[in-house]
Amino acid sequence: MSSANSARVSPTRPGWVQAGLANRGTWLPILVVVGLIVVFAVTSPPFLSWRNFSAITGEGATLLIASLGASFVILMGSIDLSVGSIVLLVGSVCVTLLADHDYGLMILPLAALLGLVLGGINGMISVVGRVPSFVVTLGSLSVFTGIALSILSGQAIMFDSTALDDLATGHLIPHLPNIALCALALWVIAVAIGIWTKFGRFILIIGGGEIVARTSGLPVGRYKILSFAFSGMMAGIASVFAMSRLGAVGPTLGQDLLLNTIAAIVVGGTSLAGGAGGVHRTFVGVAIIALLNNGLNLLGVGPYWQMVIKGAVVIGAVLVGQDRLLTRIVK
Amino acid sequence: MAELLKIDGVSKSYGPVPVLHDISLSVSSRSIIGLIGENGAGKSTLFNIISGLARPDTGSMQLKCEAYAPRDFGDAFKRGVTRVFQEQALVSNIPVYENLVLSQEHRFTRFGQVLNKRAMIAVAERIVADAGIDVDVRRLTSSYDFSKRQAIEIARACLAPRHLMGIEDPVVLLDEPTSALDRKDETAFFDLLLRLKTQASFIFVSHRLSEVRTLSDAMHVMRDGRLSPVLNPVTTPETDIYALMVGRERSDDYYHVARQQSVEDRPVVCQVKALTGRSFSPVSFDIRQGEIIGIGGLLDSGKSAFGKALAGVEPPLSGAISLAGNAPQTPRIAALIREGVGYVPAERLVEGIIPSLALAINLSLPSADRFSRFGLWRLARERQAAEAAVLRMGVRSGSPGMPLRNLSGGNQQKVVLARWLQRDLKLLVLDNPTRGVDAGAKEEIYAHIRHLTEQGVGIVLITDELIELIGLSNRILIMQRGELVAELDAPVGGKPTEHDLIPHMLPSAA
Repeated sequence: MSSANSARVSPTRPGWVQAGLANRGTWLPILVVVGLIVVFAVTSPPFLSWRNFSAITGEGATLLIASLGASFVILMGSIDLSVGSIVLLVGSVCVTLLADHDYGLMILPLAALLGLVLGGINGMISVVGRVPSFVVTLGSLSVFTGIALSILSGQAIMFDSTALDDLATGHLIPHLPNIALCALALWVIAVAIGIWTKFGRFILIIGGGEIVARTSGLPVGRYKILSFAFSGMMAGIASVFAMSRLGAVGPTLGQDLLLNTIAAIVVGGTSLAGGAGGVHRTFVGVAIIALLNNGLNLLGVGPYWQMVIKGAVVIGAVLVGQDRLLTRIVK
Repeated sequence: MAELLKIDGVSKSYGPVPVLHDISLSVSSRSIIGLIGENGAGKSTLFNIISGLARPDTGSMQLKCEAYAPRDFGDAFKRGVTRVFQEQALVSNIPVYENLVLSQEHRFTRFGQVLNKRAMIAVAERIVADAGIDVDVRRLTSSYDFSKRQAIEIARACLAPRHLMGIEDPVVLLDEPTSALDRKDETAFFDLLLRLKTQASFIFVSHRLSEVRTLSDAMHVMRDGRLSPVLNPVTTPETDIYALMVGRERSDDYYHVARQQSVEDRPVVCQVKALTGRSFSPVSFDIRQGEIIGIGGLLDSGKSAFGKALAGVEPPLSGAISLAGNAPQTPRIAALIREGVGYVPAERLVEGIIPSLALAINLSLPSADRFSRFGLWRLARERQAAEAAVLRMGVRSGSPGMPLRNLSGGNQQKVVLARWLQRDLKLLVLDNPTRGVDAGAKEEIYAHIRHLTEQGVGIVLITDELIELIGLSNRILIMQRGELVAELDAPVGGKPTEHDLIPHMLPSAA
């Protein structure tokens, strides 16, 4: 570490350039957002319309909420692959409940609780059974998806709920869908949790050095379980938002979230190794993914090429953004 | 004897920490140069530079009168410079002959990729024959015991350059090869080395003075990155060598001996009751307020494992401790921290600090009880505490928001210590608190330790540095292979010397 440190200090560069390079993980993603907006605004006139603004924010809202909890898990040095499958399973349960009775917004706390339990199960298995989170959530991804598909019998199920319709299509602030407003509020809360709470601090410490956390007497296992439960809870909430946008729950609900959440978090600047970054950065990552989706659609880029471009952006962002001299070991 | 390898004014720093100062060394053909010094003296870094794993900041090397600046380990091998590491570097699940030509298989290929096994075996057999070791090269490497495998590794280092590349004068770096051998194997190792000396030259690093005396033609002592002049390994008095190893005569001022507390009539702060771990047998003793109990012993003595058990970092198999007369409890770090116990681990970069995170965060690590309320973290209070600690501890160029990796080892260690100073301590367990710390910062750390004892904190000091052990402790316990074998008083004016301690640390056969 210290050798890398000395290598970083190059005498030929002025101090502000060095500081800028060292902090590029923070400003580079923001620069990408600005760049994307400029490029799409120039190449596609409808991009800058209010109508399109509502579309982007509505689309980004679900991704943002689903990524908030997972950001803590990744900051802690673990990974949660089950976010999309929790969205699907919670959605399937909710749509079954809504078939009997319109619970209105009361469905939200129910969904959050169910998500919390599912995420908590991930955390318990990983911590108590000492199984890497990658394996646990890879397995539960399949388990949750399977349960959800059997609840849905593989079919899309529609529902009617005025409260949820209002959530998806209403505008408390002109042109900003309520769903995006809620997502923004949840993001602010999550950032506050990251900065000002014991939970946020412990997650950062565990991600930075789990052994140090243990020798300092931190309840590492408990906070690991909590972070997975939190990730599940946010996925549960995201599920209600996703289904209210669609007015139905089908087998593909949440399918794109598995890769998009991880991409948004990493592109935003949170290290997969843990201990660097944070949920505040996830907003920018989500913006990049949502802008790319929207802009490429407007430009008429085919879905296959969209995949190529999005994948390249994810790799490129990490390639340029990270401080490779400080990243000794890459797995 | 012709000069084979010449090192001229080599220096090396890692970040702000100087590791090697102006090292000059000469190895003549067919000789053994002994190198002795304590942990962290810079021996491994010097070996890294010679074997191409690190590059010097300044200075140069010459091999057979030609410039020598290996790019990497493979490059060094091509010039005939090889190294045997502390840990064995043989692949266990392949035959011996494959290990003997490992990474040099390209010399045995036919038609591009097909390996000529017969040629490999022939070369391997010549290597073991020249080394005079009794090994069937076709057998699986793992079927031989540790000492045999080590002989195979040394034979490879000495003879592979000759049989693969025709290099007659290899230089072999041996990094503490005997630390895991028992006495019988040690004798076999000596014989092997003296046999191989007719075909290679060696630089031989060891902790054990007796070995260096027996084997070397010339020796150097290394201390704090500096190399002593050439010494005659046979005629130089042992006291002179030890004085060079510790760099200075023990100075009472340096250890603030005048501030040592007299503790006979002070209350007991912690009773250790038959604490037992995987690598140490039951240990019992009492610590009084203001007392420093030093624990010494070799690397395999189990003293560090005992420290981890005492602080509850790795809970013991059995036994208990009782704090300030409370009911006995099995040590668990989280509970003990609440009751006023602190622990400074030996491996600072792995267990002690999170280098990438800010100083303030590293400082408040075990103190969630002080810096959080109703689940909220009190950032302003944490920042104030960090600013105060930076001033009080004299953490140079430190600020609360600075990542700890930007500080030197000494300043990092001050932060680790400050972590505990801000708490109400009863007992502090220190494992090598000054490892990798420069002399100035050491003295400051000693002053802080003394300050703690003046406030009635009991201290358990586990250390590899004998001088530090003697200088600081009220009482010294010596462990040997997991057993508590001796207890010595070290009152002001009646401190034992290293010569009093060393016999207790070594196995009685020595």
